[in-house]
Amino acid sequence: MSSQALLYVIVLPIVWLLLWPLKSVRSRQILLLITSYALYASWGLRFLGLLVCSSLVNYVMGVLLRRKPSVPRLWLGIALNVALLATFKYLPPLAPLLPASPFGSALAKIVLPVGISFWTFQALSYLFDLYREEELDPSLLEFLLYMAFWPTVLSGPICRLSSLLPQFRAPYQPTSQDVRDGLDRICIGLFMTALGQILGAGLHTGQGIDGIFDSARTGFTGPDVWCLAIGYGFELFFNFAGYTHMVIGAARLFGFRLDENFDRPYLSTTPSEFWTRWHMSLSFWIRDYLFLPMVMLRREVWWRSFVLVLSMVVFGLWHKGSILFVLWGLYQGILLVLHRQWQQLRVRNDWQISQGIMGPLSWLVTFCAICLGWVFFRSDSLVQAFSMLGAALNPATYARYTLPGSVFLLVGTLSLGYFATMGGQQLLRKYSDGIRVPLEARFALYAVAVYLGIFHAAQTQAFIYFQF
Amino acid sequence: MRSFAKIIRWCLGLVVFVLVLEICARIDDVVTYGAPFWGAYNDEILLQRDNIGKWGRPGARYAKWQLNSLGYRGPELRAGSIRILTMGASETFGLYEAPGEEYPRQLERDLNAWAGKDLFQVVNVAFAGETLPTSILRVPQIVGEIHPSYALIYPDLSSYIWMSIKPFASAVPAQDASRPGPTFESRLSVRVENLLKQVLPTAIQDELFKISMRREIASRHYVILDHLPDDRFEHFRQDLQTLVGVLREHQVEPILVTHATIFSKPLAESDRVSLTHWRKIYPMLKEEGFLDMERRMNDIIRQTATEEHMPLIDADEEMPHGPKYFADFVHFTTYGAGVMASILADGLEPLLAPQVQAANGVTQAGSVAQTGQAGASRPQ
Repeated sequence: MSSQALLYVIVLPIVWLLLWPLKSVRSRQILLLITSYALYASWGLRFLGLLVCSSLVNYVMGVLLRRKPSVPRLWLGIALNVALLATFKYLPPLAPLLPASPFGSALAKIVLPVGISFWTFQALSYLFDLYREEELDPSLLEFLLYMAFWPTVLSGPICRLSSLLPQFRAPYQPTSQDVRDGLDRICIGLFMTALGQILGAGLHTGQGIDGIFDSARTGFTGPDVWCLAIGYGFELFFNFAGYTHMVIGAARLFGFRLDENFDRPYLSTTPSEFWTRWHMSLSFWIRDYLFLPMVMLRREVWWRSFVLVLSMVVFGLWHKGSILFVLWGLYQGILLVLHRQWQQLRVRNDWQISQGIMGPLSWLVTFCAICLGWVFFRSDSLVQAFSMLGAALNPATYARYTLPGSVFLLVGTLSLGYFATMGGQQLLRKYSDGIRVPLEARFALYAVAVYLGIFHAAQTQAFIYFQF
Repeated sequence: MRSFAKIIRWCLGLVVFVLVLEICARIDDVVTYGAPFWGAYNDEILLQRDNIGKWGRPGARYAKWQLNSLGYRGPELRAGSIRILTMGASETFGLYEAPGEEYPRQLERDLNAWAGKDLFQVVNVAFAGETLPTSILRVPQIVGEIHPSYALIYPDLSSYIWMSIKPFASAVPAQDASRPGPTFESRLSVRVENLLKQVLPTAIQDELFKISMRREIASRHYVILDHLPDDRFEHFRQDLQTLVGVLREHQVEPILVTHATIFSKPLAESDRVSLTHWRKIYPMLKEEGFLDMERRMNDIIRQTATEEHMPLIDADEEMPHGPKYFADFVHFTTYGAGVMASILADGLEPLLAPQVQAANGVTQAGSVAQTGQAGASRPQ
């Protein structure tokens, strides 16, 4: 837990109460905007200045596009946003490569503003939607709020104005169901975050997934690599999905319904399905504003495959301007192309495979392929990534393992526990109308989640997606 | 009536919430540290009392702190090793370092790496709050148990601030070792306190420290001292000389170590916060008084080393300052403990070179002697 988190815990209940007596929509929006700016400023006052500037520029671009939705105006908007992102996100890592100069040293001092990738993509989606002549007519106040909205500004979900604007204009009346659902989501988020923290830190000092990756060691064996890849896959999922649960829950307390960002991604049976269930807000953004417009330019199959790979490379680059993230995107793009080729091959040859065999097999292949891809996402260097992949693909390394037993135990327990929970949940949905949890038991569950998420993880790692 | 029942249920829910948090904290202690579920669980578990004062409870464990079967922090004694005692207080016992990374443990590793074999064992006989007078009284027992060849003395200076406030442990009547602790002690409250320390901005914590300090001064009617009176320094000098004498009587060669702090010289503005935190513990002495005390007592350590013709390691001069090395005003971080260990190892190597020569043969002796040139300064 950080000072900022404490600030959120103190400020939000006060704002929740202050919003009730406010009758006018405009005054509520002003209070929400002040809250959003105050909370964002806690991460750095200069960051707030940048966010406000970006919001104003994009609002002006929006006004221009509303008047005349032309390609040059859209490109100008895109260029301004990409330039902003490049300045703060992609240029500073290049500083060490430049010869010593005042420009290079100034570049090296640039700090990445928290959430810049998220709110820049929100701004871009607004410009794209206006170009497509969607009916969006936010006031300046509403647009500023959309860009700085406190639940989403730090790490998403990347929302669309079309989904938030009606909610900004609706009367403020969170129901008891909203409060209950919000608290439930926050507690689930705390619980998942704690699991992510346990995976990252390990059962013993230096025996967590993060410690092992950070040690920059090589010489892994096949079982080691699979354990680390699956372990990191779950760590990232618990961390980011847990954070998203908390954000969605906190917004729900105020009666706002944000888009979901995860939908049991590790149950996907194909890579295409996985990308409709993992970081959905970014995945759908890439699909709607990059893949679909580009794929419609030409009809050839190779073009479609190329655009697919390119989209995934952009997906990777969105996270970080590094060769490892480019390779991660490339890998995911190739997986999607291979999956598509396989589908076409099946249709062309009319291969009939029993769903009883195909389903589990397809799930296993997808799960393993996605997890192996996390090696690029998490490795500290190309050397480490390729040494790990080399070990995973070399059968000779499967005879032994070098990681401590506790790492296998932890990863095995948590991943199997996750699948068992998912299975149990599905059975429960199938055979009952849900469980009615008494208030006292609900409070007890909240306490367990709060303990795990706050007190046990007092030495918490930051949320992984804050760095993007 | 219905709304009254609802309020009651919500209150009950809140009670359940707090109770479950407390249970979680206890289960966490059981799983992580093997702590008992019921009863109090705090650092008092590590200690027992005898007619001298507090002493380590053999085999006790609290959180990351584990004592051996003799009641000292660290592993069991190893037969056939040359033993070096580290005497002092919490700085030596280790508070903030990762387990096994307190400076005595790192020193042992450094010395054995230098010797090329597990020749030395550093035995950490320090305890939080240990004072020179109690150390003097403990020497016969410690020497009888450990049979050390050397003793590093890294004294706690600030215990002398309390002299006019409360008597030393040596004067405290013996207490029953099995004295029962408090019947209920919330483990959740400790966690809340730690969490707040972690998340509250430094400026707010600083202000809270000052308020609490003012309250304590007012409630206990402390006389505020600008500087420590001269008689305390004289007391410290005598205690130090006595400890040196007692150790020598028991055939243990003492080595004095000056006291290092986080504070840079001259004092940086960022050091003010740590100085305020220090004063929170000793509200009766003004901030500048601490720095004066450190300077004068370190001078006494240096003078004693000269007068007694004994080795001195000047950690006060050699130890870098700042939060990278110190977690608070005087306690080391893991990294700082490593630096301290290497300073001590450099100082000890010339003294230990003959033993290493004897153990490793003549070949290594030359290089050992060379390595030792820049080591401890033996005052003439």
